[in-house]
Amino acid sequence: MQRNLFKAFTVSALGCLVLGVLTSCGSEGPTVTAPETNETASAEGETGTLLIRANGEDFVRQGFTTKDGWEITFDNLYVSLADITAAQTDPPFDPEAGTELQSKAEVKVEEAQVIDLAEGDDSAEPIMVSEVEAPAGRFNALAWRMVPAESGPSEGYSIWMQGTATKEGETVPFTVKVDEELAFTCGDFVGDERKGILTAGDEADMEATFHFDHLFGDGGAPAEDGINTGALGFDPLAALAENGEVDVDSAGLQAGLSEEDYQTFLSILPSLGHVGEGHCEEVTLTTS
Amino acid sequence: MRLRLKFAWLLALALASGAAPALAHGVTVEHRQVSSVELQARFDTDEPMANAQVLVYAPGNPTDVWQQGTTDDQGRFSFTPDSSQPGTWEIMVRQAGHGVLTTIPVADSTSGGEPTATPVTVADTGANSLISPSAALSPVQRGITIGSVIWGFIGTALFFARGKH
Repeated sequence: MQRNLFKAFTVSALGCLVLGVLTSCGSEGPTVTAPETNETASAEGETGTLLIRANGEDFVRQGFTTKDGWEITFDNLYVSLADITAAQTDPPFDPEAGTELQSKAEVKVEEAQVIDLAEGDDSAEPIMVSEVEAPAGRFNALAWRMVPAESGPSEGYSIWMQGTATKEGETVPFTVKVDEELAFTCGDFVGDERKGILTAGDEADMEATFHFDHLFGDGGAPAEDGINTGALGFDPLAALAENGEVDVDSAGLQAGLSEEDYQTFLSILPSLGHVGEGHCEEVTLTTS
Repeated sequence: MRLRLKFAWLLALALASGAAPALAHGVTVEHRQVSSVELQARFDTDEPMANAQVLVYAPGNPTDVWQQGTTDDQGRFSFTPDSSQPGTWEIMVRQAGHGVLTTIPVADSTSGGEPTATPVTVADTGANSLISPSAALSPVQRGITIGSVIWGFIGTALFFARGKH
């Protein structure tokens, strides 16, 4: 009898354990569902044209003062963009929610491209990357990778910054070449206007935006502002100058910067990509 | 540097007028209950997005601002969505070159009229968020759990009741 009671207890305990595990598994956080079949632009459906642009903003076009007082101007700021994908998502994709981008429809720019964000004068428009035929609808998500360029002036690098830094009468030409690969997934554009709303037979803009003030800081903002407390500034780069010029790549940064400054540099790269003022999730460097 | 924005919102049942119907010199005051949304926007540093621009877009009309205003010094803003326009409402909060766009699903007024929280659309439900993660059990899961606990107690009781050999 007692042996049977003990068996009953054992069975009940195991039952509790199994059921407990099952129920706890069922209560885990956001569920990621399998991607739906993506639609692509076709002649059958109503389509329009997406104009995908890249924007370095006024910091790149007009120059700016870094958090440590250097006046920076860019001659060229090349970014190598690949796998640019514009998507319609519903519910809207939130890059900071930690969920996977699930698209109802999407279009891709097939070829990688190198874009000079410093192209044009101070008032230049954001740089055209590609025109893509796309199904009409609301494109409220944008993703792209930044990969080392296969050819062109910035071959071998995902970001190539070339310009001049001036402070207290000292002028330092600089070339900073970054080969880290990055990938950004972003939600809807946040800015003065709504973008990505495509009606049949019409055009709509989408924009990959780059915030290089995150790297150098903004002398126009208070020193205690987050834009400056997390920025590298230009002083650590100026310290790497040889013969009055900075010419450094990622390996040189790792070797030349202090460990703290190098880690700061690496931590800033995933925050460069935006959609207007809206933030993106970086999914390559932050997971490597 | 990463200025991520924490963005949270909660629902509140507010009164359009707190006073009961009254008459005074021919003035009539009426009130009705409405469901409002209160949101709070802050930076990753937990600093509130004080005096930030807020733009509210009704479902199906992403180009025309339905309502706009500014957050208070704690980054808070509240509005009352039109429950006759069910669907996904969009709220854009912008300040000093940084912004966030979040969505709030609002149910059809015929099904209760109250907005329904969907944490997936909330940017970051951190420790200081006003909204908690979606960890609620379904009724079936809750029943299984309760049954398991009761069965466990019975087993334990039988174990201690078996006596010694």
